[in-house]
Amino acid sequence: MWGSMKMEKEPMKVLVTGVAGMLAQPDSLFGQIGYAIAPMIARGIMLGPNQPMILHLLDIAPATEALNGVKMELPDAAFPLLKEVHATTDITETCKDVNIAIMLGGFPRKEGMERKDMMSKNVPIYKEQASALEEHAASDCKVLVVANPANTNALILKEFAPSIPEKNITCLTRLDHNRALSQIAERIKVYVTDVKNVIIWGNHSSTQYPEANHATVTSINGERPVKELDTDDLWLKNEFINTVQQRGTAIIKARKASSVLSAASAPCDHMLDWVLGTPKGIWLSMGAYFDGSYGIPKDIIYSFPVKCEKGKWSIVKGLKIDEFSRAKMDAIAKDLIDEKEVAHSCLN
Amino acid sequence: MGKEPVRVLVTGAAGQIGYALVPMIARGVMLGPDQPVILHMLDIPPAAEALNGVKMELVDAAFPLLKGVVATTDVVEGCTGVNIAIMVGGFPRKEGMERKDVMSKNVSIYKSQASALEQHAAANCKVLVVANPANTNALILKEFAPSIPEKNITCLTRLDHNRALGQISERLNVQVSDVKNAIIWGNHSSTQYPDVNHATVKTPSGEKPVRELVADDAWLHGEFIATVQQRGAAIIKARKLSSALSAASSACDHIRDWVLGTPEGTWVSTGVYSDGSYNVPAGLIYSFPVTCRNGEWKIVQGLSIDELSRKKLDLTAEELTEEKALAYSCLS
Repeated sequence: MWGSMKMEKEPMKVLVTGVAGMLAQPDSLFGQIGYAIAPMIARGIMLGPNQPMILHLLDIAPATEALNGVKMELPDAAFPLLKEVHATTDITETCKDVNIAIMLGGFPRKEGMERKDMMSKNVPIYKEQASALEEHAASDCKVLVVANPANTNALILKEFAPSIPEKNITCLTRLDHNRALSQIAERIKVYVTDVKNVIIWGNHSSTQYPEANHATVTSINGERPVKELDTDDLWLKNEFINTVQQRGTAIIKARKASSVLSAASAPCDHMLDWVLGTPKGIWLSMGAYFDGSYGIPKDIIYSFPVKCEKGKWSIVKGLKIDEFSRAKMDAIAKDLIDEKEVAHSCLN
Repeated sequence: MGKEPVRVLVTGAAGQIGYALVPMIARGVMLGPDQPVILHMLDIPPAAEALNGVKMELVDAAFPLLKGVVATTDVVEGCTGVNIAIMVGGFPRKEGMERKDVMSKNVSIYKSQASALEQHAAANCKVLVVANPANTNALILKEFAPSIPEKNITCLTRLDHNRALGQISERLNVQVSDVKNAIIWGNHSSTQYPDVNHATVKTPSGEKPVRELVADDAWLHGEFIATVQQRGAAIIKARKLSSALSAASSACDHIRDWVLGTPEGTWVSTGVYSDGSYNVPAGLIYSFPVTCRNGEWKIVQGLSIDELSRKKLDLTAEELTEEKALAYSCLS
């Protein structure tokens, strides 16, 4: 009886690359993030509780068995929203008609590796994936690059997928943004939900600039600037920045492994807010191809504060930038331009 | 005005299943999208630093529902005030270990955790035992925590239940959400009995029995059962690690349905303290079909049990009776 059946939304197709692990190491970083993120997506955390999805999982041939393991566990969990799972090493097949692409796959920097070496491994990967997405993905496909070097991988992807709207190619700085919120929450002793509007400027790397000049805390006296509540400017300009920048390393020290849980959760936040919109008055950090705002050069992927509405992000404009911030923001821009040049040199 | 947070304990929290489970709890998968939680994560001292790393990551994820995290190796601190306890920690079977050895290690663990829960958990604490041997660990816990209502002590067979639904949905090429009312009878072990005699599939022309649509009793009595029973081993073979994703997810389903209720017309499988229903010996933790309402479960009564099923129900009961005897012998 159709009358008694709820009309369900059309499933969205979500691609996750590097799901089972690059280099076929079962304990490799991206394999673990893929394993953690798949059930989060399947539970509606990325797209909302009423949005069914079809998962496309991609990895390289050496990871086939592990990829198959993830594929087996997903139906075992009987997720109501998960309509189908396709697991493959064929990039063309996997990009077909996808609405969302989460790029976990890449070549992470190893100890002793030069920047040029790391670039030379990642550039061909992102060039190939760009072509496949351009040819086969849905026209409005939203892309989130997680694999490091995230900003430059996203830039390469943008350059080799010219028919994907440039606004649809982003990289993840939401993890850093979430870390910044929680550092402030711990410092001021409030719930993390009471802190908002930190900004992560620039590069998802240890040179990022976490800034709390415009951040506020919801208290019984209404919303107060963080700067007012934490009158120790020194902490905000030093320890806070260092802690957020180095948090990945601190996690490695404690876990003897990189962040996986939080690194899987942040892409869900990034996409959910992008797709469903940000609440009024709240902005988030996102790496994207911007328009020259805030005196940052165009032609790089840079992290800015954004609001989201009706599936589109827009940059939060008109924020005051003090001298301290200006210097940091410019230094990161320079660094990203260097990275871009190194990346381009790998293409020749 | 938000709800008061619920305290959820996860033991063995620094391990693989714990790592998959805690973000699910923090996102509201276990207790619903409006229920704030405080996580208590407990593990053994060698895991203290790793446990702290998990706590750091939970903080880093800025989960809106997560109102606090207690990460501890102190069992009293871990158990204090908890409303829900998910017992993932236990002594896993290693290569070459005899069954008696595994049993004896786990019996001591569950005896001591029973005391701690009894003394320090909130009244009416709901307990889910995941660590194997799940049924017998739960039984020991019950025996040594006599003031925890016996109906509050359960063990996980929801994973097997979900696997059974998954196998049927793949066989019939339908959505898993359209399949319901499989039953896992008995022990969460290789003697479990996945039974789809009463399972149905939602079709455009109404609900139809699985048995009718599959139309292959040989498969249902043979390969289907074996696949579900041995699925854990198959996952280990593929991943080189045991199921964490699906185990964690099923633990969330188990608690959520228990606390928030099962949908009308749907039952789920849960290991519970047997009252003699279906001629299963009383006094075992045995998996039955249950419905849940107002925070309580009730065994679905009156389902017809054919001869083949009867044998299987009895076989798994026998194994559980043996395990119980073995566990008690470890205590003397």
